Amino acid sequence: MGERDLQRWRELLKRREASRGLLVAFEGPDGSGKTTQRKLFKQWLKSEGVPVTTTKWNSSPLIKPLVKVRKQVRALSPEEFCFLHAADFRHRIETEVLPALLQGTSVVADRYLFTALARDAARGLPFDWLLNVYSPILWPDVVFYFAVSPDTSGMRIAATREPKYYEAGQDITGLDDAHASYKQFITRVIREYQGLALVFRFVTIDAERSINEQHREIREHYQQLQRRPWLDWNVETIADWLAHSATWRLEARRGVS
Amino acid sequence: MAARGAARGQLIAVDGGGAGLIAAARTLTTALRKEREGSGVSAWDSSGIFTELTAVEEIPGPSARTLTLLYAADLAFRLRWQIRPALDAGLSVVAAPYVETAKALAIGAGLPRKWVQEVFRFAPKPDSCYHVVNRGPRGNAAKVDYVDCFVNAMASGDQAIDAGQLRKQSVAYLTALEKNGRCRRFK
Repeated sequence: MGERDLQRWRELLKRREASRGLLVAFEGPDGSGKTTQRKLFKQWLKSEGVPVTTTKWNSSPLIKPLVKVRKQVRALSPEEFCFLHAADFRHRIETEVLPALLQGTSVVADRYLFTALARDAARGLPFDWLLNVYSPILWPDVVFYFAVSPDTSGMRIAATREPKYYEAGQDITGLDDAHASYKQFITRVIREYQGLALVFRFVTIDAERSINEQHREIREHYQQLQRRPWLDWNVETIADWLAHSATWRLEARRGVS
Repeated sequence: MAARGAARGQLIAVDGGGAGLIAAARTLTTALRKEREGSGVSAWDSSGIFTELTAVEEIPGPSARTLTLLYAADLAFRLRWQIRPALDAGLSVVAAPYVETAKALAIGAGLPRKWVQEVFRFAPKPDSCYHVVNRGPRGNAAKVDYVDCFVNAMASGDQAIDAGQLRKQSVAYLTALEKNGRCRRFK
């Protein structure tokens, strides 16, 4: 990318900064209650008049059907599992998340990049390689991490259903008992999450408390959130995407001329 | 399962595109089978990912980066179910295409070389690598390969990429590999 192009994207981002939406990620192991909190948070944002949309893990209409079929037949190696989820993530970032944010809609992500990092690292894939696969990374404005113990996660899941094959990590543990496998696998996943929470400064929510207490804490954090300009920390990712988008390339040219 | 005591087979990469790729793979496999019956070809989209990737008008198409990740997913499938088991059993495999075709297109489409190289770090280095010159898109749509798939996606999507330029740049990448001695021209 030439210097002139980069300058164009910088100017476009500067113009959009004040009106752009915020990206809020909800992360945590299965059974941590993040989906409940995500729904309450979204409802609250709407009631405050904030335009908001949701993006869910593994939900790209282009890629999701591919993943679903392969999970059913249990044919995925850790690498194929990783690449398909990375493709799904990339497709949603490029076609849903970034366009929404630039048009002023906030995005609440029910699981984000860190889900992949925690799960794939728990499957034994090297962390530096995973970060590269998911690069360039669009860093969220805030990450809420719903912390529960492996026991709590296991009990909450067991109360409603049997964990699915990949959710239980049976491809890695080799255990036939889904619940036993889940406990082993989620312990590894939570260990990865705890490392990520420190490195990437998640806002950790004690998800063993009541739903209302958690929701109040999330609101408080959100209201105190300092908006950091994209130009300071996300410019490479956005420029990379803009440079490949004919639509936004025109938009940038219009702004310059 | 690997046959006890069997020597590991050879992994031969054939990269490029068009009808020449399939012909080269057949020629090489025939030669390999004279040495060891059972050697075979691992072809693009063995996992069916690209066949299933249905184009629905309302869904925006994949970008160069997404296509590269999907190629890597297909390759991970081929490595797990075709290439590694065959090599472990002492059989040789012609991977047509292997990693360089995907790298050539991704880099040609403007993706950072370092990112592309790192993505394919999981794939083992082939014992030998051939480059087949792509003579352009083939007429039969039913036999479209990855090069056509990639170029078509780039040309039709919101990608701001010139298909002719992309083909030229990907050929230049593979030709540079030849010059550096990292692969040979298949004749």
